Amino acid sequence: MAILLEGRKVSRNFGGLAALLNVNFQVRSGEIVGLIGPNGAGKTTLFRCITGVHPPTFGRILFKGEDISKLMPHHICVMGITNTHQVVKPFPEMTVLDNVRVGAFFGKGWVRGEVKDATQEALRVLEFTGLTSKANFLARNLTLPDRKRLEVARALATRPELLLLDEVVAGLNPTEVDRMIRLIQQLRESGITIFMVEHVMRAVLSVSDRLIVLNFGEKIAEGPPDEVARNPQVIEAYLGKNYASGKSHYA
Amino acid sequence: MIVSAILLAGLYATMSYGLALIYGVMKIVNLAHAGVMMWAAYVAFILIVHLGANPFLVPILIAPVFFVFGVLLQRYVVQRVMGAPPISSLLLLFGVWLIMQNISYLVFSGDTKAVTTKYTLMTFQISGISISINRLVVFIVGVLALVVLRQFLGHTYMGKAIRATAQDKEASKLAGINTERVMETAFGIGTALASLAGSLMALIFAFDPDFGRSHLLKGFCIVVLGGLESMIGVALGALVLALAEALSVLWLMPALQDFVSFALLVIVLIVMPGGMKELVDRLIRP
Amino acid sequence: MSRSWKLWVGGPVLAFLVLIPFLELQGGYLQTLGFLTFLYITMSTAWNILGGYAGQTSFGHATFYGLGAYTTCILTLRGIPALLTIPVAGMIASLYGLLWGYPCLRLRGQYFAIATIGVGEATRLLMLNLDDLIKNNSLLKGFLQKGVLTGGATGLMLPTPPDIQAYATAFYYGVMGLMFFALFVSWRVKNGKFGLGLFAINMDMDAAETVGVNTTRYKILALMLSAFLVGISGSIYAQYVFYIDPQTVFGFPMSIAMVLMPIIGGIGTLIGPVLGAVFYIVVQDRILTANLNLGLIKLSLSSLHLLVYGGLLVLIILFEPKGLLGVHHRFNIWWNKRKRRSLAATEKA
Ligand SMILES: Nc1ncnc2c1ncn2[C@@H]1O[C@H](COP(=O)(O)OP(=O)(O)O)[C@@H](O)[C@H]1O
Ligand SMILES: [Mg+2]
Repeated sequence: MAILLEGRKVSRNFGGLAALLNVNFQVRSGEIVGLIGPNGAGKTTLFRCITGVHPPTFGRILFKGEDISKLMPHHICVMGITNTHQVVKPFPEMTVLDNVRVGAFFGKGWVRGEVKDATQEALRVLEFTGLTSKANFLARNLTLPDRKRLEVARALATRPELLLLDEVVAGLNPTEVDRMIRLIQQLRESGITIFMVEHVMRAVLSVSDRLIVLNFGEKIAEGPPDEVARNPQVIEAYLGKNYASGKSHYA
Repeated sequence: MIVSAILLAGLYATMSYGLALIYGVMKIVNLAHAGVMMWAAYVAFILIVHLGANPFLVPILIAPVFFVFGVLLQRYVVQRVMGAPPISSLLLLFGVWLIMQNISYLVFSGDTKAVTTKYTLMTFQISGISISINRLVVFIVGVLALVVLRQFLGHTYMGKAIRATAQDKEASKLAGINTERVMETAFGIGTALASLAGSLMALIFAFDPDFGRSHLLKGFCIVVLGGLESMIGVALGALVLALAEALSVLWLMPALQDFVSFALLVIVLIVMPGGMKELVDRLIRP
Repeated sequence: MSRSWKLWVGGPVLAFLVLIPFLELQGGYLQTLGFLTFLYITMSTAWNILGGYAGQTSFGHATFYGLGAYTTCILTLRGIPALLTIPVAGMIASLYGLLWGYPCLRLRGQYFAIATIGVGEATRLLMLNLDDLIKNNSLLKGFLQKGVLTGGATGLMLPTPPDIQAYATAFYYGVMGLMFFALFVSWRVKNGKFGLGLFAINMDMDAAETVGVNTTRYKILALMLSAFLVGISGSIYAQYVFYIDPQTVFGFPMSIAMVLMPIIGGIGTLIGPVLGAVFYIVVQDRILTANLNLGLIKLSLSSLHLLVYGGLLVLIILFEPKGLLGVHHRFNIWWNKRKRRSLAATEKA
């Protein structure tokens, strides 16, 4: 499989703090790659580096071989990368349909001329994500699970090739988690490459082809889920203190 | 020239620190600050000219009254929009400012007023430099107020609570600080400082109900220049602005003095939103 | 049902507005009032594109109004036909918008608002002193004509045309057309891709950026469009009154008016700015001339307008973010409920 996204020595500082340090990674087309690590490890920061919100202070990020580390987020979106936000950011006073239409109008689909009618595209995406019945609700009136879906829907409407999901499962109840996992699998079947941060082990282990583990801004492990889960360094850093509770997640 | 710039800077610092305090604790840009300065100027005018009060005691007398006004304003009006986007509180306080202006128009008419006392024209000489007594006392009162405030912030429970809230509101709340009370106090102190500055300015400048707008803008400029955390930063910012104004009078035209400070405000906001501190940081370690 | 109701009211109102110049009511007073109302609706609508749709509160729109007015006066005094100067005025205002908007729009929310106050005041002071500045500079002296470019604090005067009645009437219709043009632009923006992008920026700038909205470009375009319309308004104002000075056209009150009108009427809506402008003009017109007789006390209301605007602004921010339009909406809901309840009551009986 071709390499879709590649990071070379990606580093990011906030003031004196190194939130990311020399992180190398690759994401191949069609994969689902999981990104895990304890809180504050720099996962969200890595996503922000990729989408251009917080460009890397050092290192390069290549998308299909092209350096995107100095581009603006909207530009990167139009090239085919978009993300969902860990803390959901809907457009609160707009309807669900309009939220998604923004993605359809401004994302990659429109530019490539595939999408003639953004509203049609938005409706299609709402159908796909199961939000059709709420199309005319104001986004601020949605429940948290629906807001997470809306995040995904709005991102999908841009027709990304690579979708970065930041903790879309966190905070959902088990039924909703299952629905979201199914949605993610459907996304992969429709040809979208997925790079996802997830704390809920059940979700990330069941869908990921490969895991990358961050700790204190550095990559400490990478590989197939079961292999990574056995890696002593990972267990120490990530599951270390609460191995028991980590275990319960597996069950 | 330089001396009078420094004296003016003391006054500017008093005015700006009120703004900085309110912004620091509540993240609110207080446009009503100008209204308070204007009202304080009028109150000082009445007390001094009509009731014959001592011009240099008046500011200290009226500050507590405005403190109460600020507390009430925060408790009953501003508090209601604390959850909304910051721009609503800005517009809200803008509305308050318009109301204050209008009340002054009604009560005092739009005529320009000035306070002249026996000190107004008095000067004394030190090594060839003549210094206005008026301005010197204004400077001393302004700086004294800041020193007292600094002691308050550093050594009392409420002062520490105010600083903690400015740093991290959520954490302070978790630590058991009554942040609503803190915000009321901070707004009150900010308002009191504005009234102090306004009544001191009345001794130096002529004023009308529109008074305070240009000083408000200068205040913003100083606050951004000096950074929001420290009193020393604000003092330095005030000094920089006062000097820039003095120089603009020398090098450009006197009429463009205010132009320079407004242009400086815009440039500072855009070029160094972190203030001088950030600029220095950037220069020291590139 | 409701559509025909609107037609029944809207039709006669429009007909009345069109006929005003022929009716010569109250010695042309109504015509002047109409002219001002249309002009202010245009500006209110224009401000709303940036302030309402994109959510960027500008306290510096008087710069565009003033530049439009000055462009027209300066060019006309140099022999260029006045009508030709209108688009030029719009374009210059727009370019000035680009000049200060590009840096300032990088600031967010409150900071942008503060910066625009600074820009507005700095511009006014610059225009006030421009002639003196140029006089002291040998390179720029050529721009002065008989020693005058902007005329300093005294301002500039245009020659009055011979048939002033017909001239005023022509401008009445002209500015009415401009108002409809502005409303059309605002409507197109609101319902198109552009408006969707602006709304997204208004709601959440970072989220908008990550779903592909070029937020910088959109904000600047909104500012330039807004500035263009306000610049044209300034140009027309100058031609209508023949006399401008910096304190009037660049003054802070002008900027405030443009902030207040859309907020009072209903920010971010199409009709709100219209309501707000009408309200604004009516308040100004009625209150500035009214006296209140309370027995022995005679209170001049001449300077109560700030109180009205300020009070309304406070009330709106506290209780009804969509302004008059929101109040109207609430009233409708309340009214329908009452009707339904009384209907139910009659059915029961
Ligand atoms: N905008 C920011 N400014 C300063 N520090 C930040 C910022 N964003 C993240 N950080 C810091 O970077 C580190 C990594 O944060 P983050 O990427 O959010 O972690 P994760 O998503 O893995 O939980 C944390 O220490 C956090 O405090
Ligand atoms: Mg995170």
